[in-house]
Amino acid sequence: MPQVRIIAKNFMDMVAALPAMKLDILYENPFICEAILRSLPPLAKKYVTQMLFSEGSITAKLLEEWVLPDGSTKHRVSIDRLVQLRIFTESVESGRKKEKSYRLNPTFQANLQKRITTGGVLPREPMPPSLTGRLPSLEELEKYALEQWECFLLHLINSGQAEKVTSFSPSMMRVFQRGLLSQSKDPKLTESGFQFLLMETNAQLWYIIREYISNSEERGVDPVDLISFLLELSFHMTGKAYNLNTLTDVQRSTLSDLADLGLVKLQKGRNDSWFIPTKLATNLSVSLADSSTRKQGSIVVETNFRVYEYSASKLHSEILRLFSRVEYHLPNLIVAAITKENLYGAFENGITADQIVSFLQQNAHPRVAQRTPSVPENVTDQIRLWETDLNRVEMSPAHLYDDFHSREVFEAACDLAREWSGLLWEDSDKMRVVVKAEIHQNMRDFIRGQRQ
Amino acid sequence: MNNSEKKRRNGEAEEENEEDVEDEGRDAWERTYTDERSWEALEEDESGLLQPIDNKAIYHSQYRRRLQSLSATSAASRIQKGLIRFLCVVVDLSKAAGEMDFKPSRMAVIAKHVETFIREFFDQNPLSQIGLVIIKDGVAQSLTELGGSPEAHIKALMVKLGCAGDSSLQNALELVHDTLHKIPSYGHREVLILYSALSTCDPGDIMETIQKCKKAKLRCSVIGLSAEMFVCKHLCQETGGSYMVALDEGHFKELLLEHAPPPPALAEFAIANLIKMGFPQRAAEGSIAICSCHREAKVGEGYICPRCKARVCELPTECRFCGLTLVSSPHLARSYHHLFPIEPFTEVSARQLELSRVASKTCFSCRESLLTPGTNKAGPCAACTKCKQYFCLDCDIYIHESLHNCPGCESRRITPAAASATMS
Amino acid sequence: MATLPSKPIADDVSLLVVLIDTNPFFWSTSSSSLNFHQFVSHVLVFLDLIVRLSQLNQIVVIATGHNTCDYIYDSSLDTDQVTGEGELPALYSFVLQRLEEFVNKDEKLGAKQDGLSEKRVSSLLSGSLSMALCYIQRVFRSGPLHPQPRILCLQGSPDGSEQYVSIMNAIFSAQRSMVPIDCCYVGSHNSAFLQQASYITGGVYVKPQHLEGLYQYLATVFAVDLHSRSFLQLPRPAGVDFRASCFCHKTTIDMGYVCSVCLSIFCKHHDKCSTCGSVFGKAQLDAASDRKRKASES
Repeated sequence: MPQVRIIAKNFMDMVAALPAMKLDILYENPFICEAILRSLPPLAKKYVTQMLFSEGSITAKLLEEWVLPDGSTKHRVSIDRLVQLRIFTESVESGRKKEKSYRLNPTFQANLQKRITTGGVLPREPMPPSLTGRLPSLEELEKYALEQWECFLLHLINSGQAEKVTSFSPSMMRVFQRGLLSQSKDPKLTESGFQFLLMETNAQLWYIIREYISNSEERGVDPVDLISFLLELSFHMTGKAYNLNTLTDVQRSTLSDLADLGLVKLQKGRNDSWFIPTKLATNLSVSLADSSTRKQGSIVVETNFRVYEYSASKLHSEILRLFSRVEYHLPNLIVAAITKENLYGAFENGITADQIVSFLQQNAHPRVAQRTPSVPENVTDQIRLWETDLNRVEMSPAHLYDDFHSREVFEAACDLAREWSGLLWEDSDKMRVVVKAEIHQNMRDFIRGQRQ
Repeated sequence: MNNSEKKRRNGEAEEENEEDVEDEGRDAWERTYTDERSWEALEEDESGLLQPIDNKAIYHSQYRRRLQSLSATSAASRIQKGLIRFLCVVVDLSKAAGEMDFKPSRMAVIAKHVETFIREFFDQNPLSQIGLVIIKDGVAQSLTELGGSPEAHIKALMVKLGCAGDSSLQNALELVHDTLHKIPSYGHREVLILYSALSTCDPGDIMETIQKCKKAKLRCSVIGLSAEMFVCKHLCQETGGSYMVALDEGHFKELLLEHAPPPPALAEFAIANLIKMGFPQRAAEGSIAICSCHREAKVGEGYICPRCKARVCELPTECRFCGLTLVSSPHLARSYHHLFPIEPFTEVSARQLELSRVASKTCFSCRESLLTPGTNKAGPCAACTKCKQYFCLDCDIYIHESLHNCPGCESRRITPAAASATMS
Repeated sequence: MATLPSKPIADDVSLLVVLIDTNPFFWSTSSSSLNFHQFVSHVLVFLDLIVRLSQLNQIVVIATGHNTCDYIYDSSLDTDQVTGEGELPALYSFVLQRLEEFVNKDEKLGAKQDGLSEKRVSSLLSGSLSMALCYIQRVFRSGPLHPQPRILCLQGSPDGSEQYVSIMNAIFSAQRSMVPIDCCYVGSHNSAFLQQASYITGGVYVKPQHLEGLYQYLATVFAVDLHSRSFLQLPRPAGVDFRASCFCHKTTIDMGYVCSVCLSIFCKHHDKCSTCGSVFGKAQLDAASDRKRKASES
């Protein structure tokens, strides 16, 4: 089964792929330095903090001495990541020794030092309540953000359940749907689409943002500006209002898109208009790194294959419909049952059993999350068994050879097949052999040659 | 009048008999529903919504009651506790141990909990030793010798031990008596018998054996798994031990773990002695020596006996060559909290807390708010008698069970002048 | 990402409880190259860096004084302060202000005393350790998702022998809850208590040689989260002194006599134990009756 994975952490790879000059421009902003610092793997963070206040370079050997043999792969990964992001510049000493040494990118270093010792000032300050009146509370903001995000997702998967209309242009939506829906008259979700739905919110968000940014060049917007704006956004305070006139034009145009995604809430006053970042925005930099999510789930799976989800969102019921049969849909409870038919349908759509199981585990209700295992073993085992049921038979195109003239020819043919690692089955009594289709030509030529 | 009363009583008796008969046909899980009726404990508040059962408060009050009773008994007896203990655990593996009333079988449950007990025992009494004895087919055998390392005993327990035959209390006591006779006089001799059978088949007069044990100052305790027996009760009364019968698995574990902390030492039991001990230093990194316990060459970590310079692998242990007991100071320090226990905190009612002039109503040690969540009223808390600081109930439990330091008293510097002022 | 099982504790997020020694007797007499203000500035920069390494990191600062201990700062309480809204110096000014208030309070409490009997004045390390452990227990109770806690002691004052039992109790409790106690010792001679603490709980003990570079030591050794420590080669103590000190002279001995009743350690053979009063060699009951007879006679 083809395993197409959408890897959301490619955002950092995208940043790393920017040309050197653009990266240096990015590092001029102390907030971005901090955001990128947060996204590094733990060993990389240690190296940066070590080198932060020291001048000069450090030899690679010295850095390696700190690491135990168990951690050498992690060390490699961290160093590679640092070099990719141009935080570490590698230099090879000329001369006989040819030792590698690293030094910290001076812009990065200077700005991070500044950030720590004197702090940085955001280019905008929150507006006083006198101008803005009553701002929505944090709970209202969160509800708003969740609504917007779900509405967007429902549009994305072309469900008829979405209530509001999104302000994204159809072409933008098509861009987002590129990998997720099949391009046909009646678009259906592809495999990657299903996988996308089962990922956690932050990962989905970053996927959408990545597509948005890579599309920005076509629209004439510099991706660096976008990236720096988004990273800066994560340092704003949730729930405080920021005036729109402090933004550049580019940023203003992206704001309406971001509002549709639920990252900010736009409001208008008498004279000014402002935006309020929601929790989704300020948590952006948390999800850059590969850490586990802290979201509280609401799914309870029982040993009788019943699934109870304590949520009112239509999106969740759509997701549950992917692999289970929704039985009751109460105002705050969705009752579903995992059945063989539904699972077979899910498997045919390209979802793997592991994805379903990890989705259930990651969204487990806190009450059951403390139990080990959070999803009962008989359910997880059964889901996996049903998956392997579909894989009982493995098909590979092959050719059958029989009617060999003599045993020597038969043996020689088998050896040849083994050499080409295409031998699938042989029967020495009846002198029959089955080989893979790829080497059919070679076998034919060989046998013809033998005959002569 | 009498007749009607009698009839009623008889009727009630009949009803009770009927219920008993019905109960026998039910499974244990059904019986918990008829006996406990947990739904009757639910309460409603004014608007008719269900109130969550406040398990925390119940747990706290149970804990405090237990703490009070423990401190009351310890205050009555002398402060001295038997810190160097030589304990023989006798496990009854007669046919009765194969009963399935403890899931999966009594024997399996016993093995599991004895393992936990052994680890807890060595954690609290690092200088003590345990020996395991089993009773099978009417004969008592020693499973492991008296030793100070938990791994050896646990390994012996994990072997599949069958259960068969009768149990003989006298044989077990004789064996234990012989084993514990050889230990030095400063140690406290204890026996813990885990008895499942309902009878004992003895070759001689068990009362004589009991008297022999009493003379040898053996403190025998019994935990029964089936029912109370006279001979066990007599044994414990004579020797000064405790006799308890376990109701279910959880209760059994509790009773077993109660024997882990050192019992109050009755002064006549052990002669105080100065024991010569060594405090070895760690061997230098990279030094190679042949260790005396495994007879192999080992590099680096290990300890060197100060008297004969032999290398030992772990502490506490006895040097094989010169017999010196080797310990490290943390091992001794682990038992100091038994000697300098902290007083239990007094409970402070919500009203007292409100009346007090404490500025911020937070627990002194963890800074958690002492107000009931969601309201502005003070919740229950505890206060230390010496430093008068307030603590939340969870900190109270943690301080008394694990930390053994009162943070309030530790954060005060008491000068000799102040100390004498408080004493006078 | 979709196949990672969800862990209850986030992997590289730490809760760092820092115990800062503010003992005025140590700081005023220390002849090292670091004075208190420089020390605090190194520590504050380090703390700020820890907070920035991850949005979920938490820091709690407890001050160890001469006469009392108190909480100075808890990063989870006031999130407005340090979300980097340009008011970064708020962390510094807040902590400095609270430290000053604490030092004044500490001094006032000490003014009530008549005089000091000890030459080497120690700080109340056992008090702040106990408070730190209680706070960590509260974090453990707060739910399945919590950062990994550890304690960092920045100590300079010498060990106070009267606190031995309480410090050992705290160490064993930390060992049970699997909380490592790290130590960066800025005083003159090594602290045996803290060396034992780090050894028993699995933490790291460092005595920096060049105190002017204190930040560098802190950032190199103590900034890493607990999970990554298993991949790093951290400074191992050269030799931890586990020998006991005898109760009568407080000298370290490697062979001695231990009272079987109260486990006090003596270097020479005595007749009577000075801690519990038990007479050696005699059965206790006889000893008690002897004492009673003597009391009634006199």
